Amino acid sequence: MFKKDRIAGIRQPLEEIVGRENVRTGEADILMYSYDAGMARARPEAVIDISSASQVAPVVKLLHGAGIPFLPRLAGTNLSGGTIPLKGGAILNLARLKKIHRIDTAAKVAVVEPGVVNMELQKALEPFGFFYAPDPASQKVSTIGGNIGENAGGPLCLKYGVTADNVEKLEVVTPEGELCTWSYRDPGPDLMGLMVGSEGTLGIITRAWLKILPIPPHIKTASAAFPSLDEAMRAVVRIISSGILPRALEAMDKVSLDASLGGRKGHFPEGTEAVLILELDGEDPVRIRTELETAHKICHDHGCAAFKMAESEEERAMLWQARKGAYPALARLAPDVLVEDGVVPRPLLPEALKATREIISSYKLTAGLLFHAGDGNLHPNIVFDRRDNEEVKRVKKAGYEILKSCIALGGTISGEHGVGVEKRVAMNWLYGPGELAFFQSIKRAFDPAGLANPDKILPVAADRPPAARQPKGLADTFVFPAKSGLSPEARDIVDELRLRSAAGTRTAVTGLGTRLGPGRIMEGAKPLQLARLSGIVEIDGENLTARVEAGLSMAKFRSALEKEGFRLELPELKGSVGGLIASNVCPDIRGLLLGLQVATAEGALLELGGKTVKNVAGYDAVRLLCGSLGAYAVILSATFAVSAGKAGKGENWKEPAGWDAFEPGPMQRRLKKELDAGNLLNPWVYGDRPSR
Amino acid sequence: MRKDREHQIKEAGAPAGENGLAPHTGFHSDVNELYPHEKAPSHLGSLLTLLGEKTLYDAAAQCNRCGYCETSCPTYMMTGRETISARGRNQFVRMLVEGRAKDPADAKESLSTCLLCGACSSACYAGVPTPDIVLEGRRSLDGYGDNFFARAAVNTLLNAPRLFAFWLRLAYLVKRTGLPTLAAKMGLYDFIGMPALAEAETTVKEAPLRFASEILSGDPDLSPADKKKIDWAYFAPCGPNFVFTDVALATVRVLKRHSGEGVLIGNQCCGLLAHNYGRLSDAREFARRNIARYEELREKFGPFRVVADCSSCAAFMKSYEQLFTNDPEWRPRAKAFAGAVSDVLEFIPPDKAGEPASGACAGTVTYHDSCRACHGQGIRRQPREVLRKLAGKSYRELPESDWCCGGAGAFAFTQPELSARVLDRKLRNIASVQASTVVVGATSCLAQIGAGLRKCYPSARAVHYTVFLDEASNK
Repeated sequence: MFKKDRIAGIRQPLEEIVGRENVRTGEADILMYSYDAGMARARPEAVIDISSASQVAPVVKLLHGAGIPFLPRLAGTNLSGGTIPLKGGAILNLARLKKIHRIDTAAKVAVVEPGVVNMELQKALEPFGFFYAPDPASQKVSTIGGNIGENAGGPLCLKYGVTADNVEKLEVVTPEGELCTWSYRDPGPDLMGLMVGSEGTLGIITRAWLKILPIPPHIKTASAAFPSLDEAMRAVVRIISSGILPRALEAMDKVSLDASLGGRKGHFPEGTEAVLILELDGEDPVRIRTELETAHKICHDHGCAAFKMAESEEERAMLWQARKGAYPALARLAPDVLVEDGVVPRPLLPEALKATREIISSYKLTAGLLFHAGDGNLHPNIVFDRRDNEEVKRVKKAGYEILKSCIALGGTISGEHGVGVEKRVAMNWLYGPGELAFFQSIKRAFDPAGLANPDKILPVAADRPPAARQPKGLADTFVFPAKSGLSPEARDIVDELRLRSAAGTRTAVTGLGTRLGPGRIMEGAKPLQLARLSGIVEIDGENLTARVEAGLSMAKFRSALEKEGFRLELPELKGSVGGLIASNVCPDIRGLLLGLQVATAEGALLELGGKTVKNVAGYDAVRLLCGSLGAYAVILSATFAVSAGKAGKGENWKEPAGWDAFEPGPMQRRLKKELDAGNLLNPWVYGDRPSR
Repeated sequence: MRKDREHQIKEAGAPAGENGLAPHTGFHSDVNELYPHEKAPSHLGSLLTLLGEKTLYDAAAQCNRCGYCETSCPTYMMTGRETISARGRNQFVRMLVEGRAKDPADAKESLSTCLLCGACSSACYAGVPTPDIVLEGRRSLDGYGDNFFARAAVNTLLNAPRLFAFWLRLAYLVKRTGLPTLAAKMGLYDFIGMPALAEAETTVKEAPLRFASEILSGDPDLSPADKKKIDWAYFAPCGPNFVFTDVALATVRVLKRHSGEGVLIGNQCCGLLAHNYGRLSDAREFARRNIARYEELREKFGPFRVVADCSSCAAFMKSYEQLFTNDPEWRPRAKAFAGAVSDVLEFIPPDKAGEPASGACAGTVTYHDSCRACHGQGIRRQPREVLRKLAGKSYRELPESDWCCGGAGAFAFTQPELSARVLDRKLRNIASVQASTVVVGATSCLAQIGAGLRKCYPSARAVHYTVFLDEASNK
């Protein structure tokens, strides 16, 4: 199947780097690295045990030179087949890179190697009174490297954001073996943000600077037992839209609860069909108490049978044990479990639940339902036995139908588990050819040889439904999805871009002129005025999202929100929405940015991200465009997460100097070449011609 | 479409679950390519798991590869290699059973490096019995104990001459005391499993000239004559009986002092060593003899507890039923026996453990959970309650107290490097609480931790639980 003995050809130099005993090609190691926690299987040709982070770059260089595919692997707990070597090659086992280099409580940063287990980091931080927010249920075993690779979430990401929001800087070995360090604060496009959730397809992380936070002085945990899961979901929607931002808001159904409690009874009343776990934290105990009372009342309105505060640390631990143990505990019901990871806009949780249940029962399957309810993230855990081929078929079909139902509700196919190989086909349903082509360009820029964890995330030819049309030329990519709700102004912009692209006219993308004054614009570039593009497309108060057009001034956006009783958790910023995103003057914007609608240099309309708070389907192109200075694509509209309630006093915010001190590095240039080969958009950013 | 789909589904006839979903109906398989049918008597008939009685294949297949056991596996944590992790070992046996792994010899490293500590099963929600699964794998790979013995003997001669000398001395003692012919017939392999005996030999300055059972048989208090009813019968495991005689004597003193009337059961080896080295038929023979002996006493005295002071043996005896799943005559008898077994760690309630000795506990006392106590029997709370009472404020909890010490049968010398690394972590934790006394419940740990402390941290000592109790009462 594979070219024979590809490894033998480089064995000697490999052994010189990592040591003789660490290049393993014996049958035992090949078999043991042919599986992970997902369903897919494939045999690697070698397992290379890395014992020092400095070995990664030379090993990758060597593999790249020999044309051998490779992928990094840590605990192997991912749920989408991300660590399966689909094209053979080498597995780089990074599990021994377990150093915590530094914990800096003053700068609130921990510097760690990828093999550090999430829980080990938490334990190391605890004596200092700090914690690292992402807390996937697997945190006892899963590692920081894996968490970054998959952009892991966890209960606490409701308040503190997913992994991408909690990484400050990354040291990365590119697929060609170059060592780079990227931070989202760097001027220019956010390559660090792009790395998070890229599942080893864009490079290998060898060191991470993580944001750490002081443990809040007050943490209160409550459980609410409901006789109906639907009512529990409705309560979730109301709690969040009432303006309470819990630290975590989790839900589980009876099947999961029974599995993880393992028959222990008595904590919840008879007839409990669903349990919510609600956790609040903060500085102000009075506020926490008030919010708990509000939540209690809402739960009561929805038929909650028992709303109970965790009185002791043991009780709190028991609740979390029940929640975090629910997935592994399903092994009690059957030997295999398929975990889906769809996300829908939170208010649609009851609909998503209904659809999921119908699908599961129509395929006669059993599933434990778990929810990061506050995030709108559903985990139906379908139990089965892979030895029963017929059942496996039903499970797969049901899984895909569930994903389709999430897409139909305006959601996405993966919130935190990644796409890997198992949800690759679903990318076809979520995205149009334009978006997929955009992702392909990103992959090509980073990994032209296609060796880094090949055939992951992006659909391959075999995944394409036969009926689907592939774009033959540009014209075919101009199918505007109905959901885009394009305004006439936006349509004009897209049309204009198409014309200019056909004519080879260069464009200077200008907004309100706050940052991009006439002095900066390169001669010969024709301005494209976005100022007219200033509509407020939607303020979704229930979902707490707002979508606005790029030319709208931030100040107007704020006051419009305020009128409706919402706010943006950002300092007062000057300029247009699009300009602020593209210039990255305030890197915190990325944390609230859920989706972007952009037009490429050729005038193709792309929908990136969406209106869910979690989304790991495909590369994080939204973050890539933060700081892209209008040179990769033209931002048409943006979707933000907003908060309920009046804005507080505007912080004193000073625009940082040097936001535009961007010197493109080789990777940004390659991206430019892929995304705008003719250098038509803001051409001065990358010099007259993007370098080859 | 819907109709088609319905049609494809097996008519399982399962009632709808409470949430309107059909419960999982289960799937059973008799596939087994691990060993030929005629070798079945040398294997377990079935495994008694947390989720019921299962074939080897079903037991291994219960692992859904979630990986939550990995960080509890000492060998994975030391090496970062899936190949020598709990999940890996399970998958390997499964692949062997399914015939997907072609050559059993490939599994040698994976299976031989397992400490059998059972930490993975404790971490596993489905309680997948990895140690039993590993042993089943080993049995067929190691030729049912024959090859292992040969290999171990040669290895020992080469690498641990002091251990070999110790064997010889034991052999001498075995002859001198006329141990049951069975043990003699089986050669010495059953002794090599005693943990880190090479190191133990340095503790036991002079091998005991009399075994504990000999000494105790002269104790009039333990004589069955004149007794109508007994509360306990002391089961002398090989470690306390042959090597750490002071432990056996202390156990009996403690039992006599606090737990009413008792006798010596007059046991044979529990069979664990034969079991772990692949000789199931010998293990079964040991078990049958012990069961028969128990039944005799029970006939005479009515119900009582069989108390053993080595957690490895106690745990194994509690699992006797698993040896006889295909034996309708012995299975119920084994089950009844297993139900009567108590580890001395759980046998003595705090109110009967004596009074806190004032000033008796110089220095910090801590407790190491022997794997076969915490993972094998779920004993964690009881010994702590007793120690807290006796040692008061001198008691400190040991970090990672249930992390294996690396003794684990013959592991210390079949895998000396791994064993040393596992022990090192234990010693660091002991040092971190500045303990001066580490209380343990299994002879394996007593030897391994004792030897480690003497070498690296001589101001602390390892003592057996009953020795600690006995000392506290004497002060």
